[in-house]
Amino acid sequence: MSDPSPLLALDEVTVQFSGLTAVDHVSFQVRAGEVCALIGPNGAGKTTVFNAVSGNVRIHSGAIQFDGKPIHNLPPHIISGRGVRRTFQNGGLFAERTALENVLVGLHAAVPNNLFALVLGTRKSAALELEATRRAHELLDVLEIGHLAGTLVGALPGGQQRMVEIVRALATEPPLLLLDEPSVGLTPPTRTQLGVVIRRLAAERGIGILLIEHAIELVMNVSDRVIVMNEGRKVADSTPDVVRADRAVLEAYLGHA
Amino acid sequence: MLLMMAPQLVVSGVTTGMLYALIGLSMTVVYRTTTIVNFGQGDMATAGAYATLVFAVGLGLNFGVAVVLAIGVLFALGYVVQRALLRPIANAPHLALAMMALAVGYALRGGARLEWGNQFMTLPRPYPQGALALGQVVIPTDTLVIVGFVLLLLLILLVVFQATPLGRLTQAVFQSPRGAALVGINLDAFHAVAWGVGAALGAIGGVLLAIIVPLTPDLGEWVLVQGFAAMALGGFGSLGGVVVGGLLLGILEKLLGFYVNSMFIDITGYLITVVVLLVRPQGLFGRRMIVRV
Amino acid sequence: MDSAAASRAPARAAEGRLFFRRRRVFWLLPVLLLFLPPFLNQYQQYVVNTVLVYVLVGIGFNVVVGNLGLLAFSNVAYFGLGTYGSALLMAKLGWPWAATVIPAGIIGALAGVITSIPAVRGVRLFYLAILTLAFGELMRWTYVHWESLTNGSMGMTVPSAAFPLDTDRHRFYVFLVLAILAIVATDRLLRSRFGRAFEAIRGNEVAAAAMGIPTNRYILLGFAWSGFIVGIGGAMFAISVGQVSPPSFNMQELILEFAVVMVGGLGSLIGSVIGAAVLTALPQIFISFPGFQELVFGVMIILVLLFLPRGLVSLLARLSPLFADRFYRE
Repeated sequence: MSDPSPLLALDEVTVQFSGLTAVDHVSFQVRAGEVCALIGPNGAGKTTVFNAVSGNVRIHSGAIQFDGKPIHNLPPHIISGRGVRRTFQNGGLFAERTALENVLVGLHAAVPNNLFALVLGTRKSAALELEATRRAHELLDVLEIGHLAGTLVGALPGGQQRMVEIVRALATEPPLLLLDEPSVGLTPPTRTQLGVVIRRLAAERGIGILLIEHAIELVMNVSDRVIVMNEGRKVADSTPDVVRADRAVLEAYLGHA
Repeated sequence: MLLMMAPQLVVSGVTTGMLYALIGLSMTVVYRTTTIVNFGQGDMATAGAYATLVFAVGLGLNFGVAVVLAIGVLFALGYVVQRALLRPIANAPHLALAMMALAVGYALRGGARLEWGNQFMTLPRPYPQGALALGQVVIPTDTLVIVGFVLLLLLILLVVFQATPLGRLTQAVFQSPRGAALVGINLDAFHAVAWGVGAALGAIGGVLLAIIVPLTPDLGEWVLVQGFAAMALGGFGSLGGVVVGGLLLGILEKLLGFYVNSMFIDITGYLITVVVLLVRPQGLFGRRMIVRV
Repeated sequence: MDSAAASRAPARAAEGRLFFRRRRVFWLLPVLLLFLPPFLNQYQQYVVNTVLVYVLVGIGFNVVVGNLGLLAFSNVAYFGLGTYGSALLMAKLGWPWAATVIPAGIIGALAGVITSIPAVRGVRLFYLAILTLAFGELMRWTYVHWESLTNGSMGMTVPSAAFPLDTDRHRFYVFLVLAILAIVATDRLLRSRFGRAFEAIRGNEVAAAAMGIPTNRYILLGFAWSGFIVGIGGAMFAISVGQVSPPSFNMQELILEFAVVMVGGLGSLIGSVIGAAVLTALPQIFISFPGFQELVFGVMIILVLLFLPRGLVSLLARLSPLFADRFYRE
C-alpha cells in the first residue's frame, strides 16, 4: 500500500454530522488505472466518503489529497475541475434534456467561451460551441450510445441512462472517476456490460475508479481492490479474493442483516 | 410624554398584527399540508368578506349566520380550487403553482371589482363598539374580539396539528408525500380539505378585517403580503411562529411609524423581514432547509 | 475510439448547423413588422411599442425564473430602476435618451447583482421569494418618498426627445432594433454553455457543481443579465410613456410580468416574446372594464396553466420543431 504517488489518498479522514461520527479515521489510496470498490452495509459511511472526496461534505480532521495536492473542503466545482468527477445514485442526470445536452453540461469547463465574445457572436465563440458539440457526439460514440444523442434522457432505460451519466462524467477526461452505485436498477445483462465498460476505462485510459456498489458479483469481477467499511470505519482493504474470505467482512454484512 | 404613547401604539399594533397572523395562519395550514404558499389567499380573504356582505347586507341575514355561510362558501371555493386547478398541475414546477394561485386571486379580485367597483364597503360591527380603559391605555372591543378569535384558532390548530392522529398524518405527508401515499392516505382528498380549511380561515380573517378597515377589491394584495411576511418571519410552516411574526409586524410598524416617520408604516414589514432573514435565513422558528445531495 | 464513430460526429454537428440556418426564417417576422406602422393608429402603435418593451421585460425575467428556475421576484425593481435611471439622466443631467439606454441596463444589472446575494448564499423557495419581493417594494417605496429626486407619487415628466424618438411610430423602429438585439443576445447566451449551466442549476445544483460549474457565479450572472435586459426595457418604457410614476412598478405589475413568462412558456425565450405580445395587447381590449379585465386575465392564465402547461409556445412547437427547443419539457 505504499505507492509513492497515489492518485487519491485519504489520510485519517473523519466526518461528523451534529456530533455523530459518520466517517471515522478512514485512510486509503486509489492509483491510476485501478478499480477500487467501496462496500459495506447501509449507513457504513461509503456515500459520506464519496461526498467528502467530491467536496459535498466537509471533513473535520485528516486530509484528502488528489494528485499530491490537498483537495479536502474545497468547493465541489473546483474539485471537479481538478479532475475528480462523480456520478450520483439517482437524480444526477437532467431528465428533460437530451443525452447530448447532458454530455455538453459535462463539457462545461472544456468550452472556454467568454460572455462578451458569445453575445457578440464572434466566429471563435461559435466554433467553440460547435467543437463542444462534436466532442460530445464523439464521447457518446465511445460508449456506443451515439445513436441516443437526441433522445431525452428521462425516456431512456436505466442502463443507457447510466452510460450517459458515465459519458458525462468522463467528458473532460478526468484522471479519477467516482461511481456511486452505478448498477442500481440495472438488469443482469446490462450490469455485465457496465462491468466491461468500467474495466475498459481503467485498462485503456488509465482512469482511477472508486466505486460504491452493492452488487457483490460486479464488485468481485471488476475490482482490483475492495475496501470494506462498517459503522464509519474501514474494516478491510485488500484484493477481492482475500476480502471474500475475510471474517470481518462477513460480520459487517451479517451483523446488520 | 412621547413614551407614554407606546402602550397605546402596542395595542393598536397587536390589533393589526393579529390580523396579519390570522392570514398567515390560514396560509400555513395550506403550506404545512401541501408545501404550497397560496398567493391568492389575500383575495380569498376579501372574497370571504364580500360573501358576508352579500349574506348580511344584501340578503339581510343575521350576521352570525352570514359569516357561517361565507365560511362555508369559502371552504367550498378552496376545496374546488385545489381539486380543479391545482391537482391537475401538481407535478409542475413551483413557479406554475405560484402563478395558478396568483391567477385565482386575480380573477376573484376582478369579480369583486366588477360587482362593487372601487367603492369602500364596510361590514356592520356585530358587537358593540366600545373600549376598555386600563389606566392610560384604551383597549377597543375590536382588539379584544380579534385577539380572542386568533388565539382560539391558533389553539385549535396547534391541537389539531400537534396532538391528534390527523396532525401526525399531516406531518408525515409534509415530510414524504410518496411515503404517505404508500401507507394509503388519500392525499388528494387531504390536500383539498386543507385548501378548504385555509380558505375558510382566510374568510374569518377577511371578515374581521372588513369590520375595522374599508373593504375594497385591492385589500387582498396588502393582506397577502403581510401574511406572507409573517410566515417568513416566523419560519414557513410554524404555527406559533406565524403569530409571533404577525404581532412583530403589526407592533413594529406602529412604533416605527410613530417614533421615526409615518412613511415607514408601508415598508416596515419588508424591512423587518429582510433584516431577520439575513440574520436567520430560516426565520425565527423555522427549521433550516436542507439541500438535497 | 473507432474511426466510424469519428466520421459520424462531424456529420451530426453539421445537422446542428442546419438547424441554426433554418431558424433564420425567424428574421421574416421583424422584416414584416417594418411595414406594420402605416396600418396602425397612434394608440395601436403605442400598444405595439409597449409589447416591445415587455419583450425585454419578459425575456429578462425568464432567465431567472425559467432558466435558473429560482423563485425570485425582483424583476419589477430592475424595470423600475431602469425606467427611473433613464428618466433622471434625461431630466436632471440633460442626457439624450440614446445615451441613457446602456446606463439603464447597467443600473438594472447592478440591482440584479444585489438581489442575487440571498440566492448565492443558498436562500431558496419562498424565503427567496419574500426577500426579492421586498427589494422590489423597497424600491417602489423609494420612488414614492425620495421626492426631491423622483417627484414622489406625483410622478416625473420625461423630457420630450427629438427624432427618431419624437413620435410613437418613430420610436417603434428604435424599439424594434433594441428588442431584436436583446433577443439575439439572450438567445446566444442561452444556447451556449452559460445557458446549459443555468439549466443544470435549475435541474440539480449538486450535479451541476460536480460537472465543474461554479453555480454561485452563474446564479449571479443570470441575475445580472436579467437586470441588464430588463433595465434597458425600463429605458424604453420611460421614453414611451413620457410620465414615470411609482404605481407602474407595483405588485400588479409583478403579476403581469410573471404572467408574461408563464403564459408564454416558462424557460422559453420565444415563449416570453409571445407572452409579452398576448398579455400586453389582449387586456387593451377590455381596458374600459376594469373588473372584467382582471377576471379575463386571471381566467386566461388559469386556462393556459391547465391546458398548455408549457405555455403558448407549445402550440407553435407542435407546428414546427424550430420553436421547440430549450423550454421545460416535463
